[in-house]
Amino acid sequence: MKNEQNPNDQIPNLDEAQEKEWIAEFEASMRRPLAVRMKYSFIKTYKPVLDDATYRSFETMAKYREWCEKNLPSWLGYGRTL
Amino acid sequence: MAGRFDYPQAQEIRDAFARHHARYLFLGKSGAILLGYPDTTQDADLFVEKSADNGEAVVKALIDLGFALTATEIGEIKRGKDFVQLKNGPFDLDLIFAPDGIETFAEAWAHHVEVDGFPVCHPDDIVASKEAANRVKDRESLPRLKKFLEYWKQHR
Repeated sequence: MKNEQNPNDQIPNLDEAQEKEWIAEFEASMRRPLAVRMKYSFIKTYKPVLDDATYRSFETMAKYREWCEKNLPSWLGYGRTL
Repeated sequence: MAGRFDYPQAQEIRDAFARHHARYLFLGKSGAILLGYPDTTQDADLFVEKSADNGEAVVKALIDLGFALTATEIGEIKRGKDFVQLKNGPFDLDLIFAPDGIETFAEAWAHHVEVDGFPVCHPDDIVASKEAANRVKDRESLPRLKKFLEYWKQHR
């Protein structure tokens, strides 16, 4: 798949097959009732550290992001770099 | 660990928040899913209006929903700390009082979308918040989410 970055809108230049596949997925999703969409979309897996406390709060979003960077395994994707 | 979030629980949020006149919007991937975006996520994200009255209403709604909140936690939610992560109830819930990339709740409310009675941030705001957050997982999901945004605007 081509994945060249478009500087104007940051949407990658998709090849036709990829774009058709996504559109087909969007169309199929929109045909489903909301309850069905939610049934297949919300999942539950254990996330280390993140799921190990019942309550957390942060004064600012910056503090939250900083906490994620420092404390969560990078592979969870909550940081700005892997 | 709470179970996965499902449609009846979303209805419970909608009904409990409405009962107490709490102002909120579904945000993030959970909001996009309500709009029809086909993807997976784990938590429901709510953008909550930051005001004393609304904080009070949100706490009442959360208690109705079965969240076990301590006095300190109640105080923090009423005060509207920017980000509150709840895993002490029937499902996991993130309360966001000041999301990245969105100026004010009033602006987001002005062009929000209703889906089956659920108030959802406009997809432009969902994309804007993910762009501003700029996490690895956001960057991975943004191209497809932006494509959905285009599709949604053409077909709404």
